[in-house]
Amino acid sequence: MKKTAIIYSYNSQKSKKVAEKIIAAFGESNIEAINAEKLTKEVFENFSNFILSSPTWFDGELPNYWDEFVPDLEEMDLKGKTFTVFGLGNQKDYPENFCDAIGILVELLEECGAKVVGRTSLEGYNYESSRAEQDGLFVGLPLDQENQARLTNGRIESWVTQLIKEMD
Amino acid sequence: MKNLEIPKIYSIKKTPKKTLENWFRLMTIGRAIDNKAPNYLKQAIGWSYHAPYAGHDGIQLAVGQHFEKNKDHIYLYYREMLTAIAAGMTSEEIILNGISKATDPSSGGRHMSNHFAKPEWNIHSVSSSTGNHTLHAVGTARAIKYYGEKAVAISGQGESSVSEGYVYEAITGADKEQLPVIFVVQDNGYGISVPKKDQTANRKVANNFSGFKNLRIIHCNGKDVFDSMNAMAEAKRFAIEESKPVFLQANCVRMGAHSNSDDHLLYRSSAERNYVIEYDPHAKFRRLLLRYNRFTEEELLEIEAAVKAEIKVSHKAAMNAPDPSPDSIYDFVIPEPFVSEKYPQGLHSEVGEKKKLITALNETLKAEFRHNPDTFIWGQDMANKDKGGIFNVSKGMQQEFGEKRVFNAPIAEDFIMGTANGMSRYNKKIRVVVEGAEFADYFWPAMEQYVDTSHDYWRSNGKFSPNITIRLASGGYIGGGMYHSQNIEGALVSIPGVRIVYPSFADDAAGLLRTAMRSEGLTMFMEPKALYLDPKAATVVPDDFEVPFGKARIRKEGDMLTIITYGNTTHLCLDAANKLQEEGINAEVIDLRSLIPLDEEAIINSVKKTNKVLLVHEDKVHGGFGGELSAIINEKAFEYLDAPIRRVGSPFTPVGFNRILEQAILPNADIIYKAAKDLISY
Repeated sequence: MKKTAIIYSYNSQKSKKVAEKIIAAFGESNIEAINAEKLTKEVFENFSNFILSSPTWFDGELPNYWDEFVPDLEEMDLKGKTFTVFGLGNQKDYPENFCDAIGILVELLEECGAKVVGRTSLEGYNYESSRAEQDGLFVGLPLDQENQARLTNGRIESWVTQLIKEMD
Repeated sequence: MKNLEIPKIYSIKKTPKKTLENWFRLMTIGRAIDNKAPNYLKQAIGWSYHAPYAGHDGIQLAVGQHFEKNKDHIYLYYREMLTAIAAGMTSEEIILNGISKATDPSSGGRHMSNHFAKPEWNIHSVSSSTGNHTLHAVGTARAIKYYGEKAVAISGQGESSVSEGYVYEAITGADKEQLPVIFVVQDNGYGISVPKKDQTANRKVANNFSGFKNLRIIHCNGKDVFDSMNAMAEAKRFAIEESKPVFLQANCVRMGAHSNSDDHLLYRSSAERNYVIEYDPHAKFRRLLLRYNRFTEEELLEIEAAVKAEIKVSHKAAMNAPDPSPDSIYDFVIPEPFVSEKYPQGLHSEVGEKKKLITALNETLKAEFRHNPDTFIWGQDMANKDKGGIFNVSKGMQQEFGEKRVFNAPIAEDFIMGTANGMSRYNKKIRVVVEGAEFADYFWPAMEQYVDTSHDYWRSNGKFSPNITIRLASGGYIGGGMYHSQNIEGALVSIPGVRIVYPSFADDAAGLLRTAMRSEGLTMFMEPKALYLDPKAATVVPDDFEVPFGKARIRKEGDMLTIITYGNTTHLCLDAANKLQEEGINAEVIDLRSLIPLDEEAIINSVKKTNKVLLVHEDKVHGGFGGELSAIINEKAFEYLDAPIRRVGSPFTPVGFNRILEQAILPNADIIYKAAKDLISY
């Protein structure tokens, strides 16, 4: 499997904890952590596989570190690269926009020609609508530390197993 | 309406550097004043109300930049300092408003700080009542559409304002009429301390309106300059090209408290406060300018230094500006009315065929619509084939003047009143007449707009006068019960800024209506509906008759007793006076015609002559206008009184439906006669 980058905000304590679990499940030697707050477009050129962390802010927005990267991202040619996205959301307090940021980021990646893997089942979640939902699946891995923290480890484990199969 | 694309006109990479520089300069000016405003309060200079906009930067810049002065019309709410700056108001003008100076372009220090306006540019003066101006924007958009201008009306407001019923009335009205208006709803999640979960089931209030047929809903990130600019550009294009309304919901954050009288530490956790500060739109824009190499740090520092220097100069100029004078408080309460040259006393001696009161009103309305092409009338039951007004006062008008000038309004009294206000803002030539409600009893929902409209001329320091005549079918004696018989003038006379007239004869009705429709300002025109068809209210009516405001009419001269009245009871007083005359008691009957302004001279002169006063009105004695009349006479003519002032009116009850109850409640000639007799024998 090609070298994989996991990109998340080092400032976000919750995302960081989850990212560390993913890294552990993946095996530290196979993955390199990158701080999303200091992301440059060169990072996207240097790796082939990417795991992006995109929590949903406010009523369905990208966090500012991704939002500020979008002008560069939009101009990239990501053909031949493989991405997956996970993100924290809160299905109880924000049921109308549960993990929208996963969907927004995946849409941008696909427009740039990226291959997106790591789709997961809607089962076990309870929300009203989500931009992360597409054709009966989530386009990444939603995690809800506020309401379903006890399910996180299991979700990560099965997702990582899936990613290892789906990533080149 | 199906989702439509938002074209990406603006982006960090493609927007010209000059434009970006201007935006950054405007945003930096705004933030500098937003941060500085609390210091004025701390130093006891002023700005005691300041609602910081920090966190709304993107959308406010976008709205202000899309406003074309003297073409578009905009209504800013109290959190829209950056919109005002981005629309062209200077830092000095903002500070003048903040510290309430006489030269403040918004109100000359009359209105609360942080209510930014410049009516001469169409940045309109607004209320503090949240969302109140939404109806005004819709009324203005109606005028924009009528006159065929390629412009928009913009209403800025917070998401909590959408909980107000009149905001719903505005949006559904604009949807129905397909008007070019943009409702820019800035969602920061709170109405003071009330979170939006306590305001709306949908977290995004715009989605509450998703079933509206002609309304386009656009969501944008109000914290992001480019997303906001693109959304606003599309909203304006769509509103103008399609002539349809847009609900633009901008997601913002409130980085600070609601205002300087609110302590958000009481209801927001530190985690939440830090979270919203992390998405500081101004800091984000600055980062983008650097990240994408559009500016160097040195260039931005240079702009920031220039802004700092500019604000220092503006601060100094504003501090040296004059304060409003205490002598000015009576300026601009209500504009000077139309002056009648031919009928300066509102009297005539024409002979000929008598006309009923309803005919006099109908013919005067038509004559004035012919005289002024910029007249409009609407109300419930206003026009549908042969129906013309609930009592057919406006019969035949739509046929003659068309459905764009004479039209039905929805059953929404506040909408009727609020859009009248908004339409009259479009230009000074416009005169609006509304049937404020089917009956005066139903006018209460419009009181919110009525009270606010009464403030406009004073609040704008004489820059805007709502030129509106409100017609209300009023009073009882028709067996209508408590929702079709009441008089409401007692509650209205305590509100400055409105003329209130209440004629009782056909000629006075015609003359007062003509004067109202030719005057600037707001006139409440109360019509005694029991007299519409009554032969005793019929008179000869000169075609060009005019009755000035504040001129009472002596309907019967006398020297033993003064009976002061208006409306329905004028006729009852005349009946009683005629009966007294038969007994040798010579009573004078004064028909006030105008309650505000009041003809004090006619009253005092009569009191000097008769030394006894009987005040009669159909409205309740308790709290009725007679109480005010009595106090005025006591203050100004006490020495001439030989007896206590006596009042006759309704008891302190609603009006009953059964005729027996109605008769027991409303005054009649016999009661007036007996009261007069008592007074004479005092």
